[in-house]
Amino acid sequence: MASLFKRRTLGRESSLGVILIFAVAVTGFINPRFVTGDGTRDLLSATAIVALLAIGIAPIMIMRHIDLSIASTVGFSAWLVADTCAKNPSFTWVQCFLVGGALGIVIGILNGLLVAGLRLPSLVVTLGTLYIVRGAVYVVSNSVDYNAQEMPKSLLKIGQTAFFGLMPVPFFLALVLMVIVAWFLKYTKAGRDCYAIGSNPPAADLVGLKVFRRTFIAYIFSGFIAGIAGVFYLMRFAQVDSTAFYGQELAVVAAAVIGGIGLLGGAGTAVGVVIGALLVQTIQGALAALGVDAFWKAAINGLLLIVAIYADRVLARRSEKALLAQRIKERV
Amino acid sequence: MANKGDLLLQMKDVKKRFGGAVALRGTSLSVRAGEIHALLGENGAGKSTMLKILAGVHVHDGGEITLGGSPFISGSPQASIDQGIAVIYQEPSLFLDLSLAENVFVGRQPKKGIAIDWKEAEAQASKLFKELGVELDPKRQARGLSIADQQVVEIAKALSMNANIILMDEPTAALSASEVERLMTVMRNLRGANKAVIFVSHRLDEVFAISDHITVMRDGATVSEKTISQTDLQTVIKEMVGRELTELFPKTDHPIGDVVLEVENLTNAAYFRNVSFNVRKGEIVALAGLVGSGRSEIARSIFGIDSYDEGSVKINKKPLKKNSPIAAMDVKIALVPEDRRQQGLFMVAGVNRNISMESFSRLTGRFFINFKKERALTNEWRENLSIKYADQSDPVDRLSGGNQQKTVLAKWLATNPDLLIVDEPTRGIDVGTKAEVHRLIDKAAGEGKAVLMISSELPEVLGMADRIIVMREGRQVTELSRKEATQENVIAAATTGKKGI
Repeated sequence: MASLFKRRTLGRESSLGVILIFAVAVTGFINPRFVTGDGTRDLLSATAIVALLAIGIAPIMIMRHIDLSIASTVGFSAWLVADTCAKNPSFTWVQCFLVGGALGIVIGILNGLLVAGLRLPSLVVTLGTLYIVRGAVYVVSNSVDYNAQEMPKSLLKIGQTAFFGLMPVPFFLALVLMVIVAWFLKYTKAGRDCYAIGSNPPAADLVGLKVFRRTFIAYIFSGFIAGIAGVFYLMRFAQVDSTAFYGQELAVVAAAVIGGIGLLGGAGTAVGVVIGALLVQTIQGALAALGVDAFWKAAINGLLLIVAIYADRVLARRSEKALLAQRIKERV
Repeated sequence: MANKGDLLLQMKDVKKRFGGAVALRGTSLSVRAGEIHALLGENGAGKSTMLKILAGVHVHDGGEITLGGSPFISGSPQASIDQGIAVIYQEPSLFLDLSLAENVFVGRQPKKGIAIDWKEAEAQASKLFKELGVELDPKRQARGLSIADQQVVEIAKALSMNANIILMDEPTAALSASEVERLMTVMRNLRGANKAVIFVSHRLDEVFAISDHITVMRDGATVSEKTISQTDLQTVIKEMVGRELTELFPKTDHPIGDVVLEVENLTNAAYFRNVSFNVRKGEIVALAGLVGSGRSEIARSIFGIDSYDEGSVKINKKPLKKNSPIAAMDVKIALVPEDRRQQGLFMVAGVNRNISMESFSRLTGRFFINFKKERALTNEWRENLSIKYADQSDPVDRLSGGNQQKTVLAKWLATNPDLLIVDEPTRGIDVGTKAEVHRLIDKAAGEGKAVLMISSELPEVLGMADRIIVMREGRQVTELSRKEATQENVIAAATTGKKGI
C-alpha cells in the first residue's frame, strides 16, 4: 500500500525525467547540434521564463485555484521596467528587479483580495485581471516600444551570461527558486496547508487552517514572480512593446499540468513543474531541430497537454484497480 | 487530564436562529469526563446545529456554554480545537491526497528546527493507530481507505490534539457490524482514558449497547437527560417523536404473484459470485449482510450501471440487456440508490425537477415539458409521501435528510415500476420518517410491485421482508423465509457464512 502511494507521487517526476532524456537523446541523434553546449544553453534560456512562472503558480494550483493574469503581468512589468530605465539612465539591474517585483506584488494583492477575501472563483477573477492588466499596458504604453539601447547594460549582461557556457543565469535562478519552493512545499506548515486546502477545501476550513492567509500570500507570490519574469523577458529579448508575452499564460499552466499539478489541486511538486516546462521546451526545440514548421508549435503544445492529462487518468485508474485487487485479495 | 466525573461541558438554554428559522430554542447538555453520551433526536431536532456550535462553525445567539468551568470561546474551528473539542463528522473530512500521518497532524505537524519532522509524524501516527487497535500504514495515502478506517484516522487526529471532548456525528451510519464493534471498543477505550465522547446515532440498539447517558432533543429543545438505567428503548422513541410510535414496521400481507425478477448465477469476479434468486409480484425480498458483502453491487448489475461477467437477469421471463440502465428502465425497474446525495438526487435542482426527472416522457407536450403537468405530478407525490418543502422549486439541498429520501422514492415511484430496488432506504433518517418510508415500501408491494430491499439494519430486514437472502463476502449464504428468520440466524449467516447456528 505504501509503495502504491510512493509510486504515484515519485513516479511522476522520474517518468517525466525519462521522457525528457528520451526526447533529448532522439533529437540529438538526428540533429547533433541539439545536444551541444550552444543547443543546451538555448534550450535552458528559452525555458527559464516559463519554468519560473510555473513555479510561481504551483502553490496556487495545488490549492485548486488558478492565476491566468501572469502573462499580462509579465508584459506590464517588462514594459514598465524598460520605460523606467529609459527615463532613468543610471538604473541598475537591482532596481529593475525591484520595480518589476513591486508591480507584480500589487497585481497579486488585487487577485488575492478578490479570490481569498471575497471568495470569488479564481478562474473568472484572474481572467478578468488578465484583461485589466493587459488593457493597462496598452493604455500606459501608448504604443511606445523600447530596445536594447534604453536598457541597463548590467541587466543585459546577466541575460547573456552562462555558467560553464551551459547554464544561463536566468535558468539558474529558476532552479534556485525551485529548490526553495520545493523545500517550502514539503517541509513547512504553510506549504503542507496548500496541499490540504486543494485536496478538500471544506475540510480545510473545518480543521482550522488559515485558508485566507495561505491563498492571499500565494497570489502575492505568483504576482511577484510574474513581475520578476518580466525583467527576465527584457534580459532575453532586449526589447519590449505592449503585446509582450501576450497569451502565454496557458503555456505556463500547461507546463504545470504536464509537470504533475492536477487542476483539482492537492498534488504536484516544484521539481515536477520545472521538468514539465523543460519537456515542453525540449519538444518545441526538437521539432525545430527536426525541421518541423514553427506554425505547428501551438498545436503540439495543446496535444502534449491532452496527452499529459490522459496519462494522469490512466495512472489514477491503474492505482484504483490495484486498490480493488488488494481488497479482493484480502477477502479471499 | 480530567478526572472521571468532572463536568467537562455544560450547555444551558442555548439558542440559535438561522434567519427566520429557529434551529435551537433552548437546549441543554451536561457531559462529564469518562462517559459516553448519546445525543438523540429526529432529523431537524437540532443535533447537527449543536455539534456545529461546539465545532466553532456556527455561533449561538443565546444561552451559556461552559467548558470545565470557563466560558466557551465560539465562532472559529481553530478556537474549538484549542479548547480540546474534536468533531468527527458523518462524512469523514480527510485530505485524500495526503498521507495518513499528515492527515492526523494537519496544521500541527511536529517540527525539527524550522522544518517539519516527517519521521516523527509517522512514528507518532503509527503509535496512535496501534493504540486504537488498527494497524494502518502512516505513509499510505488516504485515498482508497474504507469509511471505517477513515474514522480511525479522524479519531487518531482527535487524540493527537489532546481533545478531551470528542463529538461524533453518526459514526456508525456507514459501517458494517464488525466495524461497529471495533469502533465501540475504541469508544470504550476513550471513556477509559477519561475523555467525554458525545455521539449522534439513529441506531438505537447501538446507543443502548454503549452509552452511559442519553440526551434526547426534539424541535430544537432538550426533552430529557437521563442515565442509561433510567430509561429504555420505548421511552426514548416516545421522547424523540413526541407521540407513541405504533408501528415501525407496518408490514402487511399481500397476495404474491408471478416471478418478476429472476437472477441466475450472476457473477462479477470483483464483488460477487453465483448469485441466484427471484422476486415475485407483491413480494419484498431483502438482501441482508454486512457492508461490503456485494449487495449494492448486485443491485447495480441488475439495473445495468455495472456489467457482470457471467449469469443472467430476466424480467418477466425476458432476458435483460446487461450494462444498460436505459434497458432496465424500459422494462420498468427502479433503483433507489444508497447514497441519496451523490447518486440519487440533483442537489441544487428543485424538488419538482427531481421528482419529474425520470418521467419527462409523460410530461411533454409535442416538444416541450409541460410545467403544469410537472407541478401536478409533484403535488401528487408530495401528498402521497407527505414530503415537506416550502416551494416546489426549492433545491433539495435545503430539505432534511428524510424529505430528501422521500423525494428520491417519489422520483422512482412516479415511473410506476414493476420492480423497485431500494438500497439502504432509511439510512440516516429519523425514526418517524423511517416508519413512513417502510409504509411506502409496503404499499408499493401491496400494489403488486416486486420489491428488492438492501438493508444493513437487521430490524428493518426482519420487519419488512417476506424472504431474506443473506450475503457474505460476495457469496449467497442462505435464504430464509419470514418465519424462519431470526436476528440470530441472520447475523450468524452474515458473519460466519454458516447456515444454521
